[in-house]
Amino acid sequence: MSAPIDRAVWTNLVEMTGGDLAFVDDLVDTYLADGERQVAALRDGAASGSADDLIRPAHSMKSSSLNVGALGLGALCRALEEAARTGKVSDATQQVTAIATGFEEVRSALLAERAERAAG
Amino acid sequence: MSAAKGGASSGSAPIHNGSSVPGRVLVVDDTPFNRQLLARLLRGLGHEPVEAEDGRQALARLRDTGAPPIDVILLDIVMPEMDGYQVLAELRDDAALRHLPVIVISGVDELDSVVRCLEMGAADYLPKTVDPAILKARITSSLARKRLHDAEREAVDRQAASNEVLAIMSRSAFDLQVVLDAVVRAAVRLCRADYGVAYVLDGDAYRVAASAGGTPELDAWERDHPLRPGRDSVVGRVALIGQVIAVDDVLADREYQATPGQQVGGYRTLIGIPIEEAGAISGVLALTRNEVRPFGEAERALAIGFAEQAAIGIANARLLETIERQRGQLARFLSPQVAQLVSSPEGEALLAGHRREITAMFCDLRNFTTFSESAEPEEVLGFLRRYHATVGSLVVEHEGTLEHFAGDGIMVFFNDPAFQDDHAARAVRMAMAVRERFVDIGDEWRRRGHVLQVGIGIATGYATMGRIGFEGRYDYGGVGNAIILASRLSGEAAAGEILLSQRTFAAVDGQVAAEPAGERQLKGFSRPLPVFRVTGRSGEDRAVAEVATAAEAS
Repeated sequence: MSAPIDRAVWTNLVEMTGGDLAFVDDLVDTYLADGERQVAALRDGAASGSADDLIRPAHSMKSSSLNVGALGLGALCRALEEAARTGKVSDATQQVTAIATGFEEVRSALLAERAERAAG
Repeated sequence: MSAAKGGASSGSAPIHNGSSVPGRVLVVDDTPFNRQLLARLLRGLGHEPVEAEDGRQALARLRDTGAPPIDVILLDIVMPEMDGYQVLAELRDDAALRHLPVIVISGVDELDSVVRCLEMGAADYLPKTVDPAILKARITSSLARKRLHDAEREAVDRQAASNEVLAIMSRSAFDLQVVLDAVVRAAVRLCRADYGVAYVLDGDAYRVAASAGGTPELDAWERDHPLRPGRDSVVGRVALIGQVIAVDDVLADREYQATPGQQVGGYRTLIGIPIEEAGAISGVLALTRNEVRPFGEAERALAIGFAEQAAIGIANARLLETIERQRGQLARFLSPQVAQLVSSPEGEALLAGHRREITAMFCDLRNFTTFSESAEPEEVLGFLRRYHATVGSLVVEHEGTLEHFAGDGIMVFFNDPAFQDDHAARAVRMAMAVRERFVDIGDEWRRRGHVLQVGIGIATGYATMGRIGFEGRYDYGGVGNAIILASRLSGEAAAGEILLSQRTFAAVDGQVAAEPAGERQLKGFSRPLPVFRVTGRSGEDRAVAEVATAAEAS
């Protein structure tokens, strides 16, 4: 397990499912597919400079990231959501870029975990 | 991706955790990951998750009356389309949804929003970083609240419906249709049936007496197909065994043969409750559902209660029928007024004796003794029948109380037991009608060689009225001077003559043409009394003329 994913949260997630790894894989697929949509939405929001367009995808990305154990990515999303809520969008483009990069790292980590598990 | 797919891929059946009652939980969250995770966890706790992506979808599902009802809502706050606050506001304004417990899903950094949601009516909140133990505790407590509310509402509902039926029964105790309609309506509603019928035994078959919830086609079919005791129908089985019969799925029941009706109605689950009256199955209350969903214990108990109310209704109706029949039979022996007395609550007091102003009319035949001695007995009886029938119908028409027929003598009272302000006038009108009818009867008998004419006496005054006689043989009659006087005046009357006492004359003066007919010394009266003779009206002259002729002839 790589650094982008917090081991304790991840373990907790697996335990919550009763160790049903097939379901965990499903859940991760859902997270990744939705994450791509949210990153795209954030990019659009940053391009338009509209705070309202940033709040919801940042919020959504934050909660699912925290639940999957991507605490660093979750923190980035929270920072963006809070900034957007106060109408501060000057740093939005950099923040979205950081989130996109963070999301790619989380994706790699999650897929690596799955590959390791498959390799036994 | 849906939670359903997630659940399917896991290949596991819901794990029922014994400590919590399963409920249907609506998960409202725009993040698929969260929905999928929550749905999975809920399923693991034995609940049934239903998902909505935003507030609009959630409300649409909640208001879909065709869908199974939701017990608890898990609500995210930040959502597109319609957010959590808007959903809470809508729920608060909707009487049908107001009571649903809402658990707000919130991040630790959103406590301000949680406070706002709780103020808007949310029942509880759940941290966004899901913890199965907390989820379980929150759902369990909200479900308990919901069930308590449901149970209260159901109890209130049942009480109200039961009160309604009782009120209808006390208001229309003897109107069986009204009672059965109310019973079936309440039973369908409270037992959550789609259709209900009360069958009542009529001859050898059970026929529809009331129904609720069915289409006109189904009602018509059931009405046209009475059921007989037997194994082939639920009603038949109830009638056969006299016990509650429940069929969970009628299509799986091999003995069930009432299939055409089933096809019209489309029902699957049936329950039949005997309506017992004096140990006999006098009816059956049947309830049906159009899906396979057996009636629960509480519903069965309710249905039995309604069947008991129907039984009381039927018993009351039969009692009324019996009383009416007895009154009808009594009326053949007694005057209708007296028959009414015997079967009415006030009757006993009146029968015990009371003093009242009445008008008594006594009517008998001149020359009857001669006639009965000279004519054949069959002739005499034939004549009497005709005479009694004629006078009897006039008594009914003028609403008099017939005291007795004694050979040729007939005694009728007015103003008792029923009050009649115009009792004297009624008596005189009836006397004139008797005399008029008698013209034809007299003609007919004169042709056969018999001279028969009526003489009528009428008197008004106080008399003591009531039951006269002894145990086993009572008459309704009176004691008083007016009655004796009427009888004496009738004896005094010439053929075709109607004689009135002074008080009767005073009461009808101006309404009927009458003239003084002198003073008469009557048996039992110490001094001579003034007597009046009715002169007026049609048929009078002819009758008088004939009487004169007859009198000369005899």
